[in-house]
Amino acid sequence: MKRVLRRLAWAVFVVWATVTIAFLVNHALPSDPARMIAGQQAPPAAVAKIRSELGLDRPLWSQYGRFLRRLVHFGPSSFEKTDPQHGSCANAGPLHLDLGRSYQQRRPVTTILAERAPRTLLLAFAAACVQALIGVSAGVFAATRRRTSADRLAVGLSMLGVSAPTFVIGLFLQWLFAYRLRWFPIDGYGETALEHLASLVLPAITLGVFGAAYYTRIVRDEMIGELSSDYVRTARAKGLGPLQVTVRHALRNAMMPIVTMFGLEIGTLVGGAVVTESVFRWPGLGSLSVNAMLDRDGPLIMGCVVVTSTAVVLSTLAVDLAYAFLDPRVRRSGSS
Amino acid sequence: MSSTRARPDRRAIALAAALATSTLACSRELPAPIPAASPDDAEPRRGGVLDLATFGDLRALDPANVSDGMAPQILETIFAGLVDYDADGKIQPDIAERWVVEDGGKTFRFFLRPNVRFHDGEEVTADDVKRSVVRALHPSAPNPYSPYYASIVGYADLAAKKTDELVGVEVEGKYVVTFRLTEPDATFLYVLAMLPLRPVCKSAGDRYSDTWHPCGAGPFKLPPDGWQRGHTLTVVRHEGYFRPGLPYLDAVRWTFHQNPSSQTLRFLRGELDVIKDLSAADLLRFQADARWKPFGEYDAERQILGEAMNVRTPPFDNVEIRRAVAKAIDREALQKVRAANLRATNQVVPPGVFGYDPTLEGQRYDYEGALEHMRRAGYPYDPVTKTGGWPHVVPYTVYKMGLQDFTGQVLKQQLERIGIRIELRVVNYPTFIALRGRRDASPFGPGFWMNDYPDAMSFLEPLFHSKSIADEDSSNWSFYSNPRVDELLDQAHRELDDDRRKKLYSEVQRILVDDAPWAFTQNYRFYTQRQAYVRGHRTHPMWVHDLTRTWIDRAAGSVAGRSILSERSFAALLGTSRAAAPARSPREGR
Repeated sequence: MKRVLRRLAWAVFVVWATVTIAFLVNHALPSDPARMIAGQQAPPAAVAKIRSELGLDRPLWSQYGRFLRRLVHFGPSSFEKTDPQHGSCANAGPLHLDLGRSYQQRRPVTTILAERAPRTLLLAFAAACVQALIGVSAGVFAATRRRTSADRLAVGLSMLGVSAPTFVIGLFLQWLFAYRLRWFPIDGYGETALEHLASLVLPAITLGVFGAAYYTRIVRDEMIGELSSDYVRTARAKGLGPLQVTVRHALRNAMMPIVTMFGLEIGTLVGGAVVTESVFRWPGLGSLSVNAMLDRDGPLIMGCVVVTSTAVVLSTLAVDLAYAFLDPRVRRSGSS
Repeated sequence: MSSTRARPDRRAIALAAALATSTLACSRELPAPIPAASPDDAEPRRGGVLDLATFGDLRALDPANVSDGMAPQILETIFAGLVDYDADGKIQPDIAERWVVEDGGKTFRFFLRPNVRFHDGEEVTADDVKRSVVRALHPSAPNPYSPYYASIVGYADLAAKKTDELVGVEVEGKYVVTFRLTEPDATFLYVLAMLPLRPVCKSAGDRYSDTWHPCGAGPFKLPPDGWQRGHTLTVVRHEGYFRPGLPYLDAVRWTFHQNPSSQTLRFLRGELDVIKDLSAADLLRFQADARWKPFGEYDAERQILGEAMNVRTPPFDNVEIRRAVAKAIDREALQKVRAANLRATNQVVPPGVFGYDPTLEGQRYDYEGALEHMRRAGYPYDPVTKTGGWPHVVPYTVYKMGLQDFTGQVLKQQLERIGIRIELRVVNYPTFIALRGRRDASPFGPGFWMNDYPDAMSFLEPLFHSKSIADEDSSNWSFYSNPRVDELLDQAHRELDDDRRKKLYSEVQRILVDDAPWAFTQNYRFYTQRQAYVRGHRTHPMWVHDLTRTWIDRAAGSVAGRSILSERSFAALLGTSRAAAPARSPREGR
């Protein structure tokens, strides 16, 4: 428990440090959010008015102080969305999270993130599952048929998967399975649960194919090491079948790097599926954060940074905890 | 043993072959257009939904907050104005059935049509016009176009928050409203036809609010759940629209954030009805196909592209160097970078805009002349020995993935031939915008401008009048100041006679051609491809589409897509042998 609390405190520090660096970098860039709001042809007077309205003419320390004060604070448990003080907050009882209003959309950033984050998490989780499923199967398959054509094919395809740019895979899958075969929607998110699932398939596979290649390589190498271990030889000598030896013994011991990758991949995918989201018009955080950067939409940028850094830190934490579950040695060293 | 080892290899080869076949198939000819159900019937019919898409998004939907490129075409469908632009960019009556100009161009009195209805059923009156104008120009509104209306009497006090009243707009009866200006303004009707001052329903209140549901008197209205932010926006017909029988469409739906390749696929499948975001390759494919070409057209040219030279910084503080640059650019060669969208030009005002002068002897490619100007500037260049010229490298600031990111490469080679060496400094778009408008921050870079209203003043004043110069956010990117140009533009602003104003614009253009604060190079031409069953559709010089008279003549059940995967390649892809799955042909099932 103490270890978990220590890790949580560290996680909060990492998120704060990331957010602060992002805030400073965003402020240091030689561009003007007010100009991006007003449009490139707006007269200077209109730009100045917007700059003043948004408080962008205040000193940096003042803007940063206000951002931190508002980020997490206490307030009323219920309030109207038109409330000038708390209208942009998301709350759990009296605990408020306020990331301000998007410069461009003029809506609370928490509302925008609440719309987008679940979709990105869904895509990230589905993609990580596809990666793990394909990658682990191919890796085990290759390891158990070492130095055969099957092994070389699996390794070759994994090289192809790593080498092919995501947008090429995405466009090809879109063209084939959506445009020609009409099995899935060309893009979008759909309206019903069934449509969401149908829309999820191609982007999840696109991301999955790319990531599965890494899994294949790692699982293959790990499994080759485990399969040549003494305990595997002993298990075989005791008369256990190949499936039991491979899955129950060797694979379980090869799981550590797989779990690490799975956790980190989910964290990375939350903020990083930009290309896939763009190709398939998946309304997630990736495209949102890129557009926020291009528009210099400060509050939205900070909101995306908070969510993605939190996701990465939490998934890392989950991986740490999973180690303890999978390997008693980690559990024991942690308690001692 | 050998046979079992060989099997996966064969499959691998089959898979690779299928992939290659399928990829090649991507570039095959376009499917035929879905025909109109009754192409010989010219009588418009009501009904149908028009589907459009864009790679962009919509930030806000309020006339008092127009700041993105998507908003105008949608706002135009929801909000009617006192006046509007017709398909040729000329002013036409809209809610105001007529108007009179008095007091030497300082008073504009508008007479509203009776019984024009907002989407909520309320009648549009002069009070609504004034309330909407004050709401849009009040400092609490994030209206980037407010300064365009600075000539209205009382605007300065309203903008300075000295009063909440705008004395220059007077209600003179239920259907009569008068605008009084501080000085005659020939462009007033043009800027009035823009979106910001369009009448809004009483639900909008007196002040701008982010939470207001858009409601106007335009041909279409936004239903309560019509805007799924970041996804789609659907407007439906306003049954109370004041032009009888219009619009014909039941609804128009925009899909946002759709990349051009997906748009093309959806268009070919008949899921989109009009497409504009065409890649250069797809545009050429549609143009080259005789079956599709009749349903495509170029929009009016509204955009000037060129090379902006900062006249305050070396070497462009020397007019001879600027003239040399203007003559050294081979516009026909630059145009080939994107031949389908660019057209070489020699002046600032594009052909689709009032003030364009076809008789103007503009800037032209003249290599020998350019070398002569370099000699006069004191930096002669010898093209044989490749010695001389400007001794320093000139930074050319350009943004990543813009068209000029590519044309800049050609420009670099062309200027090297007269002894001016430029270095492309590629930055992102927000940084580019910031640097370009900052005094002395960027000596050289691409300039591009699209008109806000279809009059030459919309180019000449923001780009070349000295009052458009500022330390930050200057729209006069070349920081060009010429008292004669200022005087002529001020005069043109007051000149109500079109012929005389056009002559003033031509004189300004002649000075700019010679002084060369910009090298004017290209007009950008957008291309619109529509389905054969989309009838009555016209592109609009300001609003992209004219949707009021568009109608759909589509046969029920038509689908354009077709399967081109051969059975063999499809079966190979699935890893099966000859037991091929049937390739689906939606056309057969039609």
